[in-house]
Amino acid sequence: MGRPYYIFSSGILRRKDNTLYFESVEANDVFDEEVLCFVGYPDVDDSEGVSKRKPIPVEDVDSIYVFSEITFNTRFLNFLSQNNILLHVFNYYGFYSGTFYPREFLNSGRLIVKQVENYIFDDLRLILARKFVDGSSYNMLRNLKSYMPNDDLKVYVDAIEEERVKIESCGDISELMACEGHIRNAYYGAWDLITKDDFFAFDKRTKQPPRNAINALISFGNSMLYTAVLGEIYKTHLNPTISYLHEPSERRFSLALDIAELFKPIIVDRLIFKLINKKQISQEDFEVDLNFCYLSEEGRKKFVKEFNDLVESTIKHRNLGRNVSYRGLIRLECYKLIKHLLGDQDYEPIKVWWY
Amino acid sequence: MYYIVVYDVEEKRVAKVCKLLRKYLHWVQNSVFEGELSDGKFMELKYRLFELIDPEVDSVIIYALQGRWRNREVIGLNKNVAGNVI
Repeated sequence: MGRPYYIFSSGILRRKDNTLYFESVEANDVFDEEVLCFVGYPDVDDSEGVSKRKPIPVEDVDSIYVFSEITFNTRFLNFLSQNNILLHVFNYYGFYSGTFYPREFLNSGRLIVKQVENYIFDDLRLILARKFVDGSSYNMLRNLKSYMPNDDLKVYVDAIEEERVKIESCGDISELMACEGHIRNAYYGAWDLITKDDFFAFDKRTKQPPRNAINALISFGNSMLYTAVLGEIYKTHLNPTISYLHEPSERRFSLALDIAELFKPIIVDRLIFKLINKKQISQEDFEVDLNFCYLSEEGRKKFVKEFNDLVESTIKHRNLGRNVSYRGLIRLECYKLIKHLLGDQDYEPIKVWWY
Repeated sequence: MYYIVVYDVEEKRVAKVCKLLRKYLHWVQNSVFEGELSDGKFMELKYRLFELIDPEVDSVIIYALQGRWRNREVIGLNKNVAGNVI
């Protein structure tokens, strides 16, 4: 099992000796201001014998996250494809740009047929969509309850619980989405009581662009989670474009959005609470302008490191009786979904039991 | 399991062994590699090493460490940090 690699320095990624090499290139070394890219694909051999070349063990790589300016060629991409490595790209502002998604290496026609079947028939689709809303709202509730000594939160907890009852009676997807929206509003309403830091005041959820620090954290965290889920789906037979809660016609791999919904409260939100309350992240880690706010490079590094530590940390799984990492839980969620689709076992979304 | 691999092989095979190890582990010093490997990956590496070296003259030592026995202290220059944030 490999690990994700996060690249914050600029330079060249290269295939060499059947493994990956990172060569850092200082921006003013071979940077052509006019064309705004590294000139060609230079071989940066150091004449003084000091090698800036850093081999990355390919067998240890699960996926690559690029946050900086990187040059690579098709030879490199082909090599990634051979090794089933996903490459996620983030733009200058730290927003998710896209993924190099290598050719599917696990194919199952039978499962695709089942996936589509469960989408086309509204009643079947609704069953799954409800489960996603049920699971994610349960996990949100659990987050609030773990801060329950704070009595002011009770209003929000009640509001969510009231709304949760309606999930079962929702007749179609749009109703369900509305229900989910109400739950999320109540949930976000409670955040100011948990974080208690004026700089991280919530106000309201804004995207594209996020207007304040907490929105910037949520957006960045969600895109990190989205890529992690996509990476796990890639290792299963599931097709990432056929989804149930979100419309499959959306631009992204929407099944990853469905599954990420369950894990947002468990991974992203709790990480944000922790970072703010332990004062690990502060005003200096953000770049604020008139109508947007995003994480600075330092802030991104901090967040990514903490995110990685959390996702790799393990908990004892009740049914399996062994330790499973958060990343492993995401994969297990995919397997549960496959079992449901193939009619082996009804899908039950993950509900936090360990905090 | 976390592994440390040190090797002392005949000159003509040094580069080959080094390149092979680069695929699996992090380079830390001349002839020293370390890193985390799954059981399967470790068997694969061991097999490939065995195919490469001449057991009569070459020597490769592999230390296997469980997480709780692991502590890393560097005196002097830390030539390479074996991390996943670059």
